[in-house]
Amino acid sequence: MRITRLEISNFRSIRHMAIDLSDTTVFVGPNNAGKTAILDALRIALTRRWGQRGTGFSEYDIHLPDDTADPKTSSGVSIELRSDESELGEWPDPVAEDLGDIIQIDLATGRRTIALRTRCAWSEDTGAFEPIWEFLDAKRDPLAGRSARRVNLERFWRYLPVFYLGALRDVSDEFSPRSSQFWRRLLRALEIPSELESRALRVLDLLNRRLLKADPRLEVIANTLSGATRIAARDREGGLAMRMVPLKSWDLLSRAEIILRNEPDLPWLPLRRQGQGIQSLSVIFLFQAFVDHLLRELYETGSKPLLALEEPETHLHPQAVRTLWRHVSGLPGQKIVTTHSPFFVQHVPFRDLRLVRLTPNGTEVRSLPASYSASIPALDGLDRIVAGSGEFLTYESASETLTVRGALDKSTYRALLACCGRDGRRTEVEQRLRDLRQRSSLYIDDGELQALDTHARRIRGEIFFAERWLIVEGQTDYLLVHAIAHALDYDLDQHSVSVIDAQNNGDPATFAALARALDVPWLAVFDGDDAGKGMKRAIANRGFSDEELKERCQTHAAGDLEAQLVADGLEPELRDVLVASGIPDASQLAGDSLADRLRKNKTAYAAELAARVRQDADMARRAPQAFRTAIEQLRGLV
Amino acid sequence: MATILESTLHELSAIQRRAVEWEDGSLLVLAGPGSGKTRVLTCRVAQLLDRSPDERFRVLALTFTNKAAHEMSSRVTTLTPGLEERADIQTFHGFCAQVLRQHGVHLGIRPDFAIYSRRTDCQAVLEDALGRDRPHLPGEDRRLLPRINALKARLVGTDDAEQWMANRSGVSRQDAGRVARAYRLYEDELRRANALDYNSLIFEAYKLFGFPAMARHYQTVYRHWLIDEFQDTNGAQYELLRRMAGQGYRQVFAVADDDQTIYEWNGASVRRISTLVKDFDCEVVQLPTNYRCPPRIVEAANRLVVYNVRRDKSKQLAEPAQQSHSIEDRQIRCRMFATDQDEVAGIASEIASQDIADRRHTVVLARTRALLESMRQALEEESVPATILTRRDDFVSPQMRWLVACLKQINRPLDRRNMVTLVETFSSFSPMSLDVDDLMARSAAEGVTFLSVWADMAQSADLSSPATEIVASISGLTAGEMKPASAIKQILGHLRSDEFDEDLKDDLSAWQRLSSEIRTAIGRASLDRFLQELELRSKEPVPAPGAVSLATIHGAKGLEFDIVYVIGLVEEILPSWHSVKKGDGSAALEEERRGCFVAITRTKQRLILSWARQYRGWGKQPSRFLGEMGFTNDDSRGALRGAHSR
Repeated sequence: MRITRLEISNFRSIRHMAIDLSDTTVFVGPNNAGKTAILDALRIALTRRWGQRGTGFSEYDIHLPDDTADPKTSSGVSIELRSDESELGEWPDPVAEDLGDIIQIDLATGRRTIALRTRCAWSEDTGAFEPIWEFLDAKRDPLAGRSARRVNLERFWRYLPVFYLGALRDVSDEFSPRSSQFWRRLLRALEIPSELESRALRVLDLLNRRLLKADPRLEVIANTLSGATRIAARDREGGLAMRMVPLKSWDLLSRAEIILRNEPDLPWLPLRRQGQGIQSLSVIFLFQAFVDHLLRELYETGSKPLLALEEPETHLHPQAVRTLWRHVSGLPGQKIVTTHSPFFVQHVPFRDLRLVRLTPNGTEVRSLPASYSASIPALDGLDRIVAGSGEFLTYESASETLTVRGALDKSTYRALLACCGRDGRRTEVEQRLRDLRQRSSLYIDDGELQALDTHARRIRGEIFFAERWLIVEGQTDYLLVHAIAHALDYDLDQHSVSVIDAQNNGDPATFAALARALDVPWLAVFDGDDAGKGMKRAIANRGFSDEELKERCQTHAAGDLEAQLVADGLEPELRDVLVASGIPDASQLAGDSLADRLRKNKTAYAAELAARVRQDADMARRAPQAFRTAIEQLRGLV
Repeated sequence: MATILESTLHELSAIQRRAVEWEDGSLLVLAGPGSGKTRVLTCRVAQLLDRSPDERFRVLALTFTNKAAHEMSSRVTTLTPGLEERADIQTFHGFCAQVLRQHGVHLGIRPDFAIYSRRTDCQAVLEDALGRDRPHLPGEDRRLLPRINALKARLVGTDDAEQWMANRSGVSRQDAGRVARAYRLYEDELRRANALDYNSLIFEAYKLFGFPAMARHYQTVYRHWLIDEFQDTNGAQYELLRRMAGQGYRQVFAVADDDQTIYEWNGASVRRISTLVKDFDCEVVQLPTNYRCPPRIVEAANRLVVYNVRRDKSKQLAEPAQQSHSIEDRQIRCRMFATDQDEVAGIASEIASQDIADRRHTVVLARTRALLESMRQALEEESVPATILTRRDDFVSPQMRWLVACLKQINRPLDRRNMVTLVETFSSFSPMSLDVDDLMARSAAEGVTFLSVWADMAQSADLSSPATEIVASISGLTAGEMKPASAIKQILGHLRSDEFDEDLKDDLSAWQRLSSEIRTAIGRASLDRFLQELELRSKEPVPAPGAVSLATIHGAKGLEFDIVYVIGLVEEILPSWHSVKKGDGSAALEEERRGCFVAITRTKQRLILSWARQYRGWGKQPSRFLGEMGFTNDDSRGALRGAHSR
């Protein structure tokens, strides 16, 4: 059992968002974009956090549209989560039995679902922000009667225990015998055979006595201190003793600590003396040990932990971070991860990524879903279209949800529109279908994502952290455009622009489609030759309008980059560059032959030229117009 | 030390224990009267839970009445404290309502649906439905409710109704079309009001279980199903069970006694027991020992029931468990009187002369309600308090009917039909002239609810106490100054001040019983949930202490008494006129015979049978059942005596 969908309204920086969650979902976004708000919303809905005095909800948790808004008049926070069976019979019988009162059934697929809505709004009656938990029926109305009993909530929580590992994972807290959520319970659960226990205690007692006798001064000290009991004495005589070693089994166990060494020759050191990276990592593995050994005992058969994990990469070396994905995704249960590390993201499947961004509408999340849904009433003929679509369309009649797996093609769209024929809500339904088609046009299929995975592994980590993308053809363009921008006082790194050299990373059209789907502002500069025009056409084929294409895609007027550089009157500088790159005879070249020679020495000249342009604003201002236009556009691009 | 469950199990007979501990597959327990079937059922539920403390599955037990469910629940709680949460014990209708609350959305039913259990409510729905369709409708359409009910009871949907009727002989196409149309309008109207009648509860749940995934879910959650009084299950209920069980479910535990089937008129059937055995591959266990009745009564019952030719011949006759602890002659007596008036007077004086402490253990049973009424009068003349045990679909006092209408109105502020009831019931205990149309117009104009307008109008009317105080409470409620629970409490307080209104006293006592029953069953309930439960339950009062019980034979089902009087044992009353006409071998007459069987087997100590030569001036013959039980007519004394032969 895991959470498959999360919908949040009016919570902190979130006005409204709906996201799907997978086994491991990775949230990427700048600081303060709202990632922690998402994790907290989940934790609130799945724990008692709102129900408890003092630790609960505050007025600061309610999203406010502006400074003057009053949280008491807000419609309040709503956090709705769903757990769907991923396949028929996924949930073991005891889970279905125990949660029988709150389970809903998808009559078409037979799969079971639970939906829980948590709300919190100001109550005039109690003068406080009052939380309400309610399970929902298939139409998302609150369930009543038996299903609304509080005991169902407690049970549901037991099957989805939430654990939180924040970015600041402190070993001394997490391995504390008193306060740790895992270590303390692990130690407490240890079963020492009573015979061994009593034997150990006898030995310790003996040891204690011998130690005390080892130095006579100890007895003197003890005598002096026992004065305290005499002063505070009541009728009966008290006593005082000294303890050199633990004399109770819990005292003994609670001193258990982890020691380790990285190499055979190094000394054993306690965990808290290790580097920060090891410390942080060990906490994650502690969680795993806890789940493996204790979860079933403390919760139910069939309980699956939900781990909210912030920045697993903390303090780790990039090489270690790269392998971390495998460990994290292999942890038991469902994982919700936030990260700031491109190295971590490099291995995350595209569909599991969520880009979090703060917009004027509050926190928003973008992703690359495999399907799109819309609320459409049960129109006449809809069933027939759905049935005839194979698995492409599905319809859930209770919630009136139409789901399309992929981009809604024109003929299916037309057929759906035709169903609205005589329905009274025609205009509204048409609008929803239009919107569905629009959204689903952002679909990127598995094959394309797989190709991207193969070709673009090097950059796929970093591009998700950029705010804008500039798509160019190759390495030369990459170097040059960085240099020009720097010289023109718009450093691309500083302004979070990712330059994507498409040739080395697969298909430029894929990046354009990706940018659109993820709502990343983008521009492209291509050569004016056949190849470049072909790339532009490929982008056009992804359904971008002519207007948009004209605005976003520049090409060099004179042909390819080299021709353009020559045409831009940079011949003397280019000759110098070639000579400096170890091609002395280039000093005599001009025109087409210079361009040809440049083409043959792309890597050599590009680095040299870029280094010079970077230092020379004047030269940058004579660089190809297409680049300069793009850089100018990037300044205001959102 | 043995637990309560262990010691209770220990007290069971070997055969009872075998049933209780039945491991795999379905089981039919044929349980005669007094054979401890309730004990077997409760022990089985308790034992299933006790054996699986770490499991999560639930046990579903379906009973025939809320009373039986309530009783069984509390016994299970006693036997397995802490585990009772996993036992879901309720009536068929209650269970269906629960299913529909959770999953009804698939059929367009919202969880806060109202339940219409009264015929008058359903009739009003039909009239509204027809009126919506056509302002000038033929009067006979109004009389179609029984036919609509019959269709629903047979699980015939609106789409199939016309064809279904047309296929039956004696129904014209035109007639079928007319009924089908009224049926569809009626159903639409119910849906519009978000209401379900009794038949809908079963039918709609049946529709839901038509989806295999839904049935599977209930098979998983409820690993064991127990059915009490299976012999009285009607066709719709049985089909519901079958669908819920799907193809493979075989964990049904049914307790039945075909000799006690007295609901064939309502669709029950003695043949259904054999259908169950076949459909669910049931093994059969018989519990023939009668722990309740003295030997002479067991013997009389055995003699009686073998006259039913349709009876399953393999079924064992009952064996008495009791040693004759009372003198043989005192076990059964028969009294003969000249007239019906003499009969009730004679029986009344006999009861009056009994030890007063015995009265609450005494019942008078009759085939008809009319006989009970004259019995009550006769007892009243002897100053013996008596209560007629009968299902009450509604409260009898206008005050309580008004209060319920108020609660419904709060729950469904736009319900016009209920508003009319509210206005009418109020004016019948506190005269106030008020035009309903006027009220509704005002509500529309002012944009406030009907109830607020009513409270307003009632406050300005010239009312006397306690109506004034009651109206004030309603005003507080509509103004939002008071919660329903505290308003109810206030109003009940005001109503209790009237000491002389017998109907109101009955209702107040019923209300108290019901609210505590509902609290036990579902805990603190929301208003809509409370109203649903209220609608499903009978509103009869708690019998007064020391009162003699009066009951029809149907009303006595499942009960037992120390001293039982069965009156009116003549041809054309028991057996009924209708069954006598059908003849001795008829199903109807056999059902009457089973009725008599049920009546006499309520007895724990003494049974007194009586008859008169004349009822309402018509001469009558003694019931053939007297002869069948072994009484012979002694002409010289005109009385019947127990036979000596064995």
